[in-house]
Amino acid sequence: MAQRTVTVASASGLHARPAKLFVQAAMKAEVPVTIRAGEKTVPAKSMLGVLSLGAVHGTEVTLEADGPGAEEALDTLAALLSRDLDAEDPAHA
Amino acid sequence: MRDDLLDPRAVLLHESAPDRDAAIRRCGRALVEVGAVAEPYVEAMLDRERTISTYVGEEVAIPHGTAASKEDVKRDAICVVRFPGGVDWDGERVTLCVGIAAKGDGHVPLLAELAEILLDPDRARTLREATQVSQIMKELT
Repeated sequence: MAQRTVTVASASGLHARPAKLFVQAAMKAEVPVTIRAGEKTVPAKSMLGVLSLGAVHGTEVTLEADGPGAEEALDTLAALLSRDLDAEDPAHA
Repeated sequence: MRDDLLDPRAVLLHESAPDRDAAIRRCGRALVEVGAVAEPYVEAMLDRERTISTYVGEEVAIPHGTAASKEDVKRDAICVVRFPGGVDWDGERVTLCVGIAAKGDGHVPLLAELAEILLDPDRARTLREATQVSQIMKELT
């Protein structure tokens, strides 16, 4: 089981736009990925699941996946979470 | 959960909109009317939607402004606007909009609660098909 623990870097937390970008990236992954915050684990490609975590800026989350390509998938998703996606917002003017 | 985020006057159950932008404007107006945001916030909600869809699933979208529009937010609030006839949302059908005005992340627990409700098909249906403001208030506050 591959695992990465990261802190949500986006200023607005893991909902709204950052959540959407994360979910879109998880959908492209070749393996199913889960994301956990506290006691709660949900599929990373479920927008509602990710929103239900209520992760704010600074929340520590753990990504997990198994199988071929799991390490690469987690690297990509972990990198996404550790960037402030709000700062890269094209509508952030 | 904070119970000051949803004003019953911002719960509109029998709206109709010809398209997504009109639906977003209706949500924006509801937030303006309860004094949660200044007028320019409505345009920011449209800008946000053009960069990325706020559709979350279960016929629900959560329109909100851009990061830059936070200065137009007077207080954190949400509105619940139901479009029983449905609105085409970039190919998805939307019947319920939860419009969000937020300066910080005070609304996140409420969003998480909303997601929790929508993950339960029965509760999601209750929310989508609500005909009384009290049903919405009971589910969300």
